[in-house]
Amino acid sequence: MTAICVNDLVKKYKNGVQALDGLTLTVKEGEIFSLLGQNGAGKSTLINVLTTYLRPTSGNVTMFGKNAYREAAEIRSKISCVAQRTSIDTHLSLKENMIFQSKLYKVPKSESGKRMEMLISCFGLEKYLKYPVSSYSGGVKRRLDIALNLMSNPKVLFLDEPTVGMDIQSRMVMWDMVKKIRNDFGTTIFLTTHYLEEADQLSDTICIMKNGKEVIQGSPKALREYLRQDMLKISFSVKKDAENCFGPLKEAIALKESDLRHDKIITSLKNGRSDLEKTTRWLLEHGIPFLGIEIVQPTLEDVFISLTGENGKEAS
Amino acid sequence: MDILTLLHRDIKWRFHNAFTIVITILQPMLWLVLYSAVAGQSMKGIGIANYTAFVLPGLIVLVSFGACSSSGIMNYLMKADGSFYRILIAPVKRSSIVLGQVLEAVVCTFIEVIIMCIVSLFFSVTIATGFTGVFLIALLVFLTAFFISGLTYAISLCLPNEVIYETVMNAIVLPIFFLSTALFPADGLYGGLKIAINLNPFTHVINVLRALILQGNIVVRDVVFVVLLLVVMCGISFSWALHRLKKETAL
Repeated sequence: MTAICVNDLVKKYKNGVQALDGLTLTVKEGEIFSLLGQNGAGKSTLINVLTTYLRPTSGNVTMFGKNAYREAAEIRSKISCVAQRTSIDTHLSLKENMIFQSKLYKVPKSESGKRMEMLISCFGLEKYLKYPVSSYSGGVKRRLDIALNLMSNPKVLFLDEPTVGMDIQSRMVMWDMVKKIRNDFGTTIFLTTHYLEEADQLSDTICIMKNGKEVIQGSPKALREYLRQDMLKISFSVKKDAENCFGPLKEAIALKESDLRHDKIITSLKNGRSDLEKTTRWLLEHGIPFLGIEIVQPTLEDVFISLTGENGKEAS
Repeated sequence: MDILTLLHRDIKWRFHNAFTIVITILQPMLWLVLYSAVAGQSMKGIGIANYTAFVLPGLIVLVSFGACSSSGIMNYLMKADGSFYRILIAPVKRSSIVLGQVLEAVVCTFIEVIIMCIVSLFFSVTIATGFTGVFLIALLVFLTAFFISGLTYAISLCLPNEVIYETVMNAIVLPIFFLSTALFPADGLYGGLKIAINLNPFTHVINVLRALILQGNIVVRDVVFVVLLLVVMCGISFSWALHRLKKETAL
């Protein structure tokens, strides 16, 4: 069953900025859906429209068959959103925050008490109960933010860059938590992220956005297969070596600016093995120090760069 | 129900930030204790026996402005910590959101007015009209605070940050206070100044409050006029606040 259906969505702000330009996407019920895009691609605007905060300029958004703008009141009781910045009331205690949320969503008192205890235990918040919320670390605040947004048992949980600024350990804990929410509560999760690895690890479906419209939507596997092209990877010991080599090599084989990635040059193979041979010969003849050269399968990052780069595909 | 939930939360915020009560009552209290004692001596010459009782209605309006202005600040704080957005996407009516916050300012105003009245007792201030007078004063304080709170709510959503908001509120409050009968009777005034003072709705509120405190008889016509005036003003300020809140999502 379809949870969210967005059709030809346009959002033009009153200041003239067009954030969404005919976006179309579909989110299935019970899946983890990731939205990828560069800064300014329109991800946050889309979340604001889907959470009924912003009114779309044109287009259609339906959630569980209801129009998100005309039937916003009904939609609001079915969704919840964890914004980029935590939105906890620091003047309330942990339990008061959760009770306030349940009252906002009109959760019956008998049910809210049980749900609160379950969520506190599920998110490992027991040991923080006696401390003021303002003293919590960023990670604990984020956990509380997600827990309180689950108090209303939403059908769709929006997570706007949930792991931004987190170290890798905290990020992995968060990934487990997101999977747990989907598996234990059956909640549809719609998340935006900058981390391709995160989208790859978590998602059932990924949508890549560029300039306010979708470029591609599919499973991580389908997206990786999208390029249908092996990649040539040249590794250098330091970034400077890669940069020094990039200019001259560009003249020998066709390279794009986006092919230079830190201490590596990764480009799509145009002519299969002959490109590998040609490049290896060129590197050896010019005495360029490199660690290795190999043909690799494209990663999600390659797909993302390929689609969102200057000459990337535009949605038709 | 939503209103009570939001009101309860906002009252918690107020007591968590109790300094906002202290700060907003400090200036009116200084006027009440120091200014009335100093100016009281000279005012005896123009027939004002108890200047503290005379100045109390104006200070009630001043304290309402202070308490309600800090309620506008709450919008900036809520926007900064994200809870403003969280409440707007919750299944809560926009009118309940405004009403919850407006009523919190009314509650805070009542707390501060009660403190001022208790302090006034030490300066021999009594309510000449008895219990009926107390009830009518409470009604006028409620309507005044409701109007000002709606106004500050709307203004806070019009202005970009709290620094500009504070500057604008100061620019509004002091002229309104001084261009009223808060400190002096308007009997001897004439010309443009008298017109300006009479156009100030708070002049009429202060006059009726003063009459209820100082005079034993209640002039029904004056009370009804001021109540109706305040009801209309409350309607306008609440509608403006609601309109501004709805515009927050119409970017």
